Amino acid sequence: MDRSEIDLTAELALLEITDDERDRLEREITELLEHFSAMNEVDIAGLEPTTHALQEGNRLRQDVLRPDASIADEILEQAPDLEDRFIAIPNVL
Amino acid sequence: MSASKTTGWHHLLETSADDYAEALRARDAAINGFLEIDTDRRRTPGGVSPPDDAPPDGAGPLAGLPLAVKDNIAVRAFQLSCASRILANHVAPYDATVVARLVAAGMVPVGKTNLDEFGMGSATEHSIAGPTNNPWDTDRVAGGSSGGSAAAVASGMVPLALGTDTGGSVRQPAAFCGIYGLKPTYGTLSRYGLVAYASSLEVAGLLSRELGMVRAAYEAASGVDSMDQTSVGLPDAQARPAAAVQRVAFLGGELGLDERTAQAYRRMREVAVGAGLTVEEVELATADAMMPAYYTIAAAEASANLARFNGVRYGERPIFAENPEALVRHARTEGFGAEVKLRVLLGTYVLRSGFQEQYYQRAQRVRTAIRRELASVFANHDLLILPVYPTVAFRHGETDLTAFQQKLADRFTTLANLTALPALSVPAGVYDGLPVGIQAMGPAFSEERLMRFAELVAAELPPERPPAYGVPLCDEIGSGGGA
Repeated sequence: MDRSEIDLTAELALLEITDDERDRLEREITELLEHFSAMNEVDIAGLEPTTHALQEGNRLRQDVLRPDASIADEILEQAPDLEDRFIAIPNVL
Repeated sequence: MSASKTTGWHHLLETSADDYAEALRARDAAINGFLEIDTDRRRTPGGVSPPDDAPPDGAGPLAGLPLAVKDNIAVRAFQLSCASRILANHVAPYDATVVARLVAAGMVPVGKTNLDEFGMGSATEHSIAGPTNNPWDTDRVAGGSSGGSAAAVASGMVPLALGTDTGGSVRQPAAFCGIYGLKPTYGTLSRYGLVAYASSLEVAGLLSRELGMVRAAYEAASGVDSMDQTSVGLPDAQARPAAAVQRVAFLGGELGLDERTAQAYRRMREVAVGAGLTVEEVELATADAMMPAYYTIAAAEASANLARFNGVRYGERPIFAENPEALVRHARTEGFGAEVKLRVLLGTYVLRSGFQEQYYQRAQRVRTAIRRELASVFANHDLLILPVYPTVAFRHGETDLTAFQQKLADRFTTLANLTALPALSVPAGVYDGLPVGIQAMGPAFSEERLMRFAELVAAELPPERPPAYGVPLCDEIGSGGGA
């Protein structure tokens, strides 16, 4: 993975990368991707992908407030800044 | 049951909560296993109703026992930092289901334990709070990512701890610290209240020096949970794999073990033969593809799961930004550590259009091939025995193993996560001053079989205590003596 690929991927992941970080990431990610080629040795012809560990189908529950789950205020308290019951973000231009 | 040996813990919080808190802080000074300690905060339950099937108060083998919880699992009124700057001041508003169930069984959370940021690492060195030290040798790592939980148990600070295991994060630190570490069948312990890293791979796990306690805690905490779509109930006892162990397969081939681990692995085989088990050797054709498939899938899922950390609704964020996207970018850039950034980038890359087929989709098919191969092993054998890690606890920094070698060394543990199967890290003796753990893996829902095997091993190789921590805190306080 070269520098331009790192920068494009970082852009997609909403991360900023310093020059020092870029060197290290380029080396470490390239090493991992090269090692990933070992997956080419496995015969996967005709195999379905495994997307879930153990699939049991959908499990539904009633869309109701649990009596013991009234934690809305505690959750709001975790916000960095509140105006009444709205979460405020810093000024952006 | 061996849980009865630890009665010293049962009334500790009732009689000496303050002395215990002080002793915990004193003992942890050299270990750095805890990120937060409070023996009082949860002594009076409240706010959360116990599940309907909870045992009556004060009954059962777990009643009154202190519990340490890895800091990526929610415990109401305790911090939930994931050892990350981005969640530095976050407090959990509710209990994870596994915590609520252990509390309902009488356990009392007393602290949150150190980990690699968001569970990403093999040494508990990627933490904002600094590394956890191994109680057997503080120049060495405790393993990771549940290193704080493993070290807290091994150094006699708590009888039981909760961890999470995405690619070996309960079993490897348990092995490095000389205790039991159970990674159960995927889904049997609810993930509600666990901070998601790689959802299709990770499970909550249990760490203890007492097998009886692992068994009791698994019984109390497992079961279907309406808050976790992927949770599964345990089948009836008759429908589960039989607990008896007869035929075991040892992983063979070129394993690349260090001397002490190789010695322990041979010893384990002698113990199995000595116990009258039929021992055969198997090799796995998919062995070399496990670590690549694991890291591809784990990184891909991490990049999606960690997208929620944007500094808007909670967590750390900059005080000023030029536009909303810059706000999010700055929050993530400053909030995430180096290893998290690496995995988020790797995951974003393997999911990018043009590369998805080559990496992510291939890894998902390789995962199917691995599961098929394991199914054929368990068609003929009750258990698969294999190393946990190719080395004993390594020294801090990258002195013994580089970051890449540490990832390569996850090859034995990732197998259980890719296949959703249960695996138990079993203490297999102490060699030249350091413990080695060997892993037993079984078919889905065979936890009891794994524990029966561990009992056979314990008859020959009982778990030992680190020389510096020969007396657990409950006995130290109980006897009124100092360290």
